[in-house]
Amino acid sequence: MIIFECEDSADGIFTAVYDAWASRLGHRNVRLQTRALRTRELFAEYCEVCPDGGKAEKVARTIRRRMGEESYEMIYRAAMARDDEKADSIYRVVVLGLSPQISEREAADVIWQLTDPAVCHVFELARRVWHEAHRYMGFVRFRELENGVLFSEIDAEANVLPLLGDHFADRFPNENFMICDHGHAACLVHRAAGPWCLLLDTEPDGALRHQMSANEQEMQQLWCGFCSSISIRERENARLQQQFWPLRFRKWMTENPDFR
Amino acid sequence: MRIEKSRTLYEKLNILSDAAKYDVACTSSGTDRRGSGRGVGNCIAPGICHSFSADGRCISLLKILFSNDCVFDCKYCINRVSNDVERASFTPEEVCRLTIEFYRRNYIEGLFLSSGVLRTPAYTAELLYETLYKLRTEYHFEGYIHVKLIPGAPGELIEKTGYLADRVSVNLELPTAESLRLLAPHKTRQRILAPMRQVQLARTENKNELTLYRSAPRFVPAGQSTQMIIGATPENDYQIISVAESLYRKFELKRVFYSAFVQVNEDPLLPVLPGGPPLLREHRLYQADWLLRYYDFRADELLSERHPNFNVFLDPKCDWALSHLETFPVEVSRADYRTLLRVPGIGPRSAQRIVRARRMGTLDYDTLRRTGVVLKRAVYFITCNGRQMYPLKLDEDFILRNLLQDGKRGIPTETATYRQMSLFDDVRFADTCGLTG
Repeated sequence: MIIFECEDSADGIFTAVYDAWASRLGHRNVRLQTRALRTRELFAEYCEVCPDGGKAEKVARTIRRRMGEESYEMIYRAAMARDDEKADSIYRVVVLGLSPQISEREAADVIWQLTDPAVCHVFELARRVWHEAHRYMGFVRFRELENGVLFSEIDAEANVLPLLGDHFADRFPNENFMICDHGHAACLVHRAAGPWCLLLDTEPDGALRHQMSANEQEMQQLWCGFCSSISIRERENARLQQQFWPLRFRKWMTENPDFR
Repeated sequence: MRIEKSRTLYEKLNILSDAAKYDVACTSSGTDRRGSGRGVGNCIAPGICHSFSADGRCISLLKILFSNDCVFDCKYCINRVSNDVERASFTPEEVCRLTIEFYRRNYIEGLFLSSGVLRTPAYTAELLYETLYKLRTEYHFEGYIHVKLIPGAPGELIEKTGYLADRVSVNLELPTAESLRLLAPHKTRQRILAPMRQVQLARTENKNELTLYRSAPRFVPAGQSTQMIIGATPENDYQIISVAESLYRKFELKRVFYSAFVQVNEDPLLPVLPGGPPLLREHRLYQADWLLRYYDFRADELLSERHPNFNVFLDPKCDWALSHLETFPVEVSRADYRTLLRVPGIGPRSAQRIVRARRMGTLDYDTLRRTGVVLKRAVYFITCNGRQMYPLKLDEDFILRNLLQDGKRGIPTETATYRQMSLFDDVRFADTCGLTG
């Protein structure tokens, strides 16, 4: 058994898919695994995979062409999950989709073959990741810094930043903004009227991010006031609130009483 | 005599959001619009919830009244003219500034603007229009706007407003014309339905126009909605749900919202509800409403003159299934989409997934669970490849008893066992009798 160990990113996983396939060892004799601190197996050979943009791009293009945009989207989302088995499941799905025995039309439907454990796993991961990303579309809170930048912090389970980029760049095309994900030590940066990009392994400037603009305080106050006055006392239900708005999202949110 | 003092923006926002909180709709759904790149904002069809207030309701839009200085005297409303409450009005600039500043910080998905009737309906509608116009053209706001139409406002104002908003709504307030006459003396059913019809016709016309000219301005792209108060008047659930059904059919509404009556005023015409607002009833109505819109149910399938109210203990779909046991069990690997939808525990999403997944392979219960089927409810009503998950009886009392038990345990307590028939007091049977009766 050869285990391909790859970086925990879409590029890393796709490169490993390429290498595992190209190794011609037979799909049954290889396994993919994201790099993590875990005990190694005794009777396995390990093979380090360096992320390679070119190889990853080829894999992505092939998945798109052969299995369709919908499948690619799901696989990409699954690659963003926090999960130990994701790389191998993705490999199995790609093997299934690219197998020469099935027709073009069937390849696009492979992602719906939920009776297959690997497909089912990818499907579930994709769903979970997208769910979290969708929640962050609402729960990200920007604060305006003195230099006019909108700054926000999150602590996400999955690597949601790549999924949030398009959304926020489309929404605020003329703002300079930054979303910092402490869970993944990554930052999403957008310059006004430009594209967005991801900075990996960076922490934003410590002092700068606490210097607010002149009317930031007022806006935060207005918002907190609004959040409490919009609630109907006769209907109050803290359990229901927490069900929709779990505590783990609240840490960086303006209306959370512990935030300030 | 009125004494006016100038208020800060904070005070105004407090008063006018407090006054708006009884409006139900806070959805930002129904339209997909990418940003133009020049302004600020976009719209996402499924909508986005940004926060949740202490009552568990979603905060998606900046929900405010433009003014609570109302000349009407609706009995159930906190802002009626005969009440002594603090009054305030925004200026269009203030609303625009709040919306933009909140939106930039990703607090909200857009604006929900309603208003009490300030002086006359026409005057109020003009102010709302002015606000929206400013927000769209001066501040280049491209996010979601939901605006209340003021009944009695001139038609051309409604049309102009509709081209700026994503969704408009007129409150039906109460389910029947009679209740309306009793509790809202300044409103009539006809004046409420007139703008609703106008919007419907204009939307149809706009749709035709859009097929010809793709870049024509869009009129109310997210459709219109309405809301009614539940429990202030004696209508039963069957009447309410029938009204909702005809609104969906005849007025092509996107949503009907139900708001449990909260007693804010003392008035001899209003009921006293010692148990608080009828929240469970409201919940059942929403469940039934979803059945009407997404599950292809008709109102007269769910309720009838003889059985006019929903079961408090069971959701409407389970209730329907239990009284139509002859259509079950459903074989999931063969049943068509519509039949699947009628199984408790299967929704539109999971039904679609089942239909797609079974083309590719043989389904089993584990796959079903992973597609999102709630097996806790569904087990009683389905077979998968001819087999039930557990040997269960298709028996009304048995299923009811198990559904009512808080389904914490995975396996139903009693699989098909046989028991000695007893003429008297079967304990488990006794407590369900009271519920079904």
